[in-house]
Parts: sequence; structure tokens; C-alpha cells
Amino acid sequence: MLPVASRVLRSASPKPPGRELLAARNFVNEASFDIKKCSLHRLEEGPPVQAVLTRDEGLKYYKNMQTVRRMELKADQLYKQKIIRGFCHLYDGQEACCVGIEAAINPSDHVITAYRAHGFTYGRGLSVRAILAELTGRKGGCGKGKGGSMHMYAKNFYGGNGIVGAQVPVGAGVALACKYTGKEEVCFTLYGDGAANQGQIFETYNMAALWKLPCIFVCENNRYGMGTSVERAAANTNYYKRGDYIPGIRVDGMDVLCVREAAKFAAAYSRSGKGPILLELQTYRYHGHSMSDPGVTYRSRQEVQEVRSKSDPIMLHKDRMVHSNLASVEELKEIDIEVRKEIEDAAQFATSDPEPPLDELGHHIYCSHPPFDIRGVNQCIKHKSVS
Amino acid sequence: MAAAVVASTARWVRVRAGVVEAARLRCQLGGSRFGRLFLLPSAAGDVAQRRHVAHFTFHPDPENRKYGQTQKMNLFQSITSALDNSLAKDPTAVIFGEDVAFGGVFRCTVGLRDKYGKDRVFNTPLCEQGIVGFGIGVAVNGATAIAEIQFADYIFPAFDQIVNEAAKYRYRSGDLFNCGGLTIRAPWGCVGHGALYHSQCPEAFFAHCPGIKIVVPRSPFQAKGLLLSCIEDKNPCIFFEPKILYRAAVEQVPVEPYYIPLSQAEVLQEGSDVTLVAWGTQVHVIREVASMAREKLGVSCEVIDLKTILPWDIDTVCKSVAKTGRLMISHEAPLTGGFASEISSTVQEECFLNLEAPISRVCGYDTPFPHIFETFYIPDKWKCYDALRKMINY
Repeated sequence: MLPVASRVLRSASPKPPGRELLAARNFVNEASFDIKKCSLHRLEEGPPVQAVLTRDEGLKYYKNMQTVRRMELKADQLYKQKIIRGFCHLYDGQEACCVGIEAAINPSDHVITAYRAHGFTYGRGLSVRAILAELTGRKGGCGKGKGGSMHMYAKNFYGGNGIVGAQVPVGAGVALACKYTGKEEVCFTLYGDGAANQGQIFETYNMAALWKLPCIFVCENNRYGMGTSVERAAANTNYYKRGDYIPGIRVDGMDVLCVREAAKFAAAYSRSGKGPILLELQTYRYHGHSMSDPGVTYRSRQEVQEVRSKSDPIMLHKDRMVHSNLASVEELKEIDIEVRKEIEDAAQFATSDPEPPLDELGHHIYCSHPPFDIRGVNQCIKHKSVS
Repeated sequence: MAAAVVASTARWVRVRAGVVEAARLRCQLGGSRFGRLFLLPSAAGDVAQRRHVAHFTFHPDPENRKYGQTQKMNLFQSITSALDNSLAKDPTAVIFGEDVAFGGVFRCTVGLRDKYGKDRVFNTPLCEQGIVGFGIGVAVNGATAIAEIQFADYIFPAFDQIVNEAAKYRYRSGDLFNCGGLTIRAPWGCVGHGALYHSQCPEAFFAHCPGIKIVVPRSPFQAKGLLLSCIEDKNPCIFFEPKILYRAAVEQVPVEPYYIPLSQAEVLQEGSDVTLVAWGTQVHVIREVASMAREKLGVSCEVIDLKTILPWDIDTVCKSVAKTGRLMISHEAPLTGGFASEISSTVQEECFLNLEAPISRVCGYDTPFPHIFETFYIPDKWKCYDALRKMINY
């Protein structure tokens, strides 16, 4: 009985001997799925209720979601071993949001989010190595080890922002630049249910609507702003309606196809010059707010378990793929193994890479200055600032 | 000699799978073993570990029996005690902020909601500007508002409300209205792993604003007395609590309310050669520097805890400098524009002819508070000691 194995995409490791490569089993090339209809605010029509998923796309989303999941769990492990220190906000449970949005946009579009950023950092093109090394504070990290968990940046990805809500006006600014340069790019500006009560969000809504900026506001509603549930924080928990004069869509954030279709719809809407639009992704995080939060003092373990067993985004996607004959269970297991290996390699790199040299302390404060001495402790070490 | 060590506190890291990453010098500190260097060999095969030595040792004050029975409390417990006393005494007092209802992220308000009810201890949504603005309104209307900003790093959205509204209310209304009943509390200062947005010391920004008071305690006993004074004080006050001391500082603190006067600096240790001034956690650092100086250089230091940043006790500091002739000020916040510059400037005006050496400021670098470089950033005792030595030899 020959094992059914279908090599899908890039895989650097050579096959272990004794494994037989077979021609792909008879998979279908694409399938169509019914997805949940979204609630709409100030919109006549919304995203389609059917989504077409090709085999390649399906495998890519699976791999990406699995990578983000494993990366976050590895970060959890490294944090508990005190190899990662400081603040660390994990994204597991919300993978469908970052993978879905990334699937709907172009690399030339822009994304900005808050501190729960590892998933988007990966989606925007950085390797797991660069991300984990940044978490451990090494020079191979994407921010040279100087930023840490909350400050990761990539091309057309503006972080990674620590202060709650502060990234939203910045996102509108990026959108203004998009409109100004006429390149038909959009900016996805993400924030959470806690940040939705910040004053500057409403200031931004006003500016974006007034000037018809190609800004897509995305509220990742994971039901808890740190330890405060949405009911106890917001007078109006219909976050998709909070934009008032800005049209809104409420999306099932645990379904990657739902997110993708909504994001596509929103991007097309904004790109056509109609102005801003608001997406509320209803999602969930398994971990607490950060690594110092056990996550069970304000919600029950049963609740977390229930979401894990009923709405886990990776599980939902996998079931879809298998039941519609887009892929086999073994194939997906192969991907799991690949992903695991990639994460292990990355973790190895992240723990063994050297820390940034002490000279880096003063670098990159200003731009294009001739190098100057950083004032600080009287007499002691003088650091130069180079940029 | 350890004093000549340029790389102050360093740390060593051992890596999993026995790969030696970098063996660095580690200064072993504490007790009487000053200045011995240990070059620690890295052992192969160990799980990667990172050890951090705190840059200070907390010095508790001797028990003060003047105010009645005392109880062992750490910093957050002494804050809870102060708040408890306030709410008991003043029926208009209310506490609000992010997550204060369940006890707060640093446990400062544990048990208060159960004791005083949910209309007196309540959560606000995530909006600092709203919290302070709301607090000003509560205070203007005659109630006592105790607002919590979750981290001092997040106080900036409220900067306008504090500086433009709270500080100027009495002045602009010709004393018709005021928000003296407002006290804002915020965790402050480095904590070992806080990075850019959980470690800041913003007192200098607010020191530039007449109309508010700023207070930073060094210990649980001081914290309770000073916080109660802030709450009583008929001016808007900002009370910064050194978060690294929440659990690390333990002392005997009176259970009943007591008040430590504001705008009075305290001379912790008398001396004749150098005056050392600091506030908050840094007071413990300079205390240790004072003993190092006495042991190794035979120098007698006068240690002053400033306590109130605004309005600050000019007389105590100047009187001390007139006596010693040398002044060193130390704080974690960046050097340029830090509060040490105000003290330095005033002292040279008042005590110019008494000065034997330029005034020394040992502060953080002019960079954002770094994540990975924290140990190199903070003005620890080695840097302070080195600065002191250079001042003595001037």
C-alpha cells in the first residue's frame, strides 16, 4: 500500500529515503463555499456570500495560518524560558484575520496595526527567523533587536505600535499619501475593541470621511480589551457601526474566506474613490492579553475551549479543504512538519544570534546628522549617534 | 579596580546546545563585596538563561511608631491602604481608571470596590484624555477624584487636559473654580523589561507647568503619607509610583492615615563633602553610592530625597550645597531637559560661590528607553560613583 503523498510547493529539505513520490491524487482544482452573510451598515450590498478557493490558495492559507500559530506558540515557549523578555502579545486564534486580509490585498497596499503584530509582520513578508530574532533582541531581528515584540516593521507595513489607538491617525495619513500619489493603493488601519473607545479614532474617522481617504478601518474585536469585556467597555458594541457616517461590515473573523472576501470588497470600495470603510472582524485570542496575563481571570476556561473546538480558524479551513477534496489530511500533515521545522530553525537562530553591539544604543535617533555624541551619563561611555 | 569599569553592569548569556555566545564581564554586587569582577565560564549544554541583577537594593527606613500601629506592607499595599483611608474618611472620594475595579494591573486597588461599592471604584474605557478630563470635571464639582493612568507612558494623550485645563483652572477663573480635588496616580520608571513604553519617567514634561504638583515616593511608608497629602492638597497633583518597587520594597507602614508634607525634601544622611539628590528608585542607588564613597574614598555624602518635583524644596538643597560645595543629581529620565537641569541651574544661581566643582548630572541617555540595552542605559551606581569620584578630584 503506497502512501499517498503529494508534494505541493517549495520545500527545501530533501525527501527521506524510502518515501515514494506519487503523482498527485485526484484533487479538484477549486471549490466554491458558502460563507456567512455579513451585517451591513450604510451599505446596499456587501461582500459575496460565496467564495471560490483554489487548491493552491487553500494550501497557502493553511501553511500561513499554521506558521503564524506555531510561531506564536514558539514565542510563548521562549518567553517562559525567559529567552524572550519584556512584553509579548500573541496572536494565536486570530490567524484568519491576518492571512485573510493579506490574501485580499497587494504587496503594494499598506497595513498598520497595534501591538499584536507578529501575524501581520509575517504576512507582510518577513521571515519567522527575523521575527523571532527581534523578539529575543538579537541583531538578526527585523528591527536590529532594538524594537522588540511591539515594534516590527516591513515594507508597506508600519508596525507594530505600542500606544493604543495612536496608529489609527497614522494609518489615515498613509492613506492620504496613497491618494495623493495616485497609485490606487489603500491602507488597512487596524485596531482593537479596546482602542475603539479612544478619542483619536473618531478624529480619524472624521478626517478620512471628509477627504474620502482610501483608508480601510479594521476593528479586530476579540471581545476583550486586555481584561475588560466589550460589554463593560463600550456603550455601543456594534463596532462596525461606530464609524457612523462611514459604511461598515461585520465579518466572521474566524473564517479566512469570509475575511478575504470582506477585505477584497472593502479594498475595491476604497480604491474606487468612495472613501473609507470599516470592517469589524469578530475574532478571538487564545492567550491572555500579553504573556503576563493568564487569560482566565476574566473569562472561563470553558469559553476558550469552546472557541478552540468549534471555531478554530485552522481547523475550519482544514475541514473545508479535506471535505471538498482540495487536499488530503496527509498532505496537510506534511505541511505541518515543514512548518515545524521552519520554526525550529528560526528559534535556533533567534537564540544563537548575537545581540546588537552596544554602539547601536545611540544610532538612528535623528536622520542624516553628522555623527554626534549622545549626551547621557556624565563622563562615562560616550556613544555616537549614526544614522 | 571595579571603579574603573567602563561597562557598568553587564550580563552573561549561556546558550542552549552549548554554543558560547559571548562571555562578558559581570560585576557581582551587593553587601560589602564591592568591585569584585567575576569572569564566569559558560557551561556547555545548559538551557539558555538570562539573569538580571537589579540595579539597586531597596533600603527600608526604620519603623516609625509616631503614627500608631504598623503593618508590613509593600509599595502597592501601602497605596491600597492610603486609598482605603481616603475613601473611608471622605464620602465624595472616587477612584477610577483602566482596570481598577478588579484591583488594577499592579494590585493597587484590590478590595476597594467590594468595600466601598461600584459607584465609588469603577473602570473607565481605554481613553486617557477622557479619564483626566472627566476627573477634572468631578473635582471642579467638589468631589475628590483619584484617577489612575495605567502607565506613566500613557499619560500623553491627557497632557493637554493636565497642562491646559487642570493646571490653569484656578488661575483663569480668578479663584472662582478649581480642580484641587484631583489626584492622578501613575506607575513610573524602569522595571527591567519595560522597553520604550512601560519605563518612562515623564516628570520633566510636567515640571514645566505651574499649577500642578508632582510627587515621587521612594518607599511604602513615604508613598502612603505623600499620597494622602496629595489627595488632601487643594491643588491638582500627579503622583508617580516607581513600579519596580511595587513588590521589591517592603516596610512597616502605619495602618492609620498620616501625612507627609509636600514640597519638603528629606535629608536621609548628613554629610560634608558632596550632596547627592535623587527621587523615587534612584534614591536607593545614591544611598549605596554614598556608602561606597565613604568606604573607598573616605568621602562624606549628604543624601537628599527630593520627593516633590514641583514645587521643589530649593532651600534644603541649596543649604546643603552651601555646606558641601559639590552637587550630583541623578535620574533615569534622559539628560537633556531632565529635571536635574532645573535643579542645577537654580543651585548655581543661589550657591555659585560655594561650588567647588561643576554640578554633575548622572542621567539616562538622550535616547528612547531601550529594550535590549536597558542595563546600559540606566544610571546605576557605578556610573554615579564614577561621576562622584571625578567631582571630588576636580
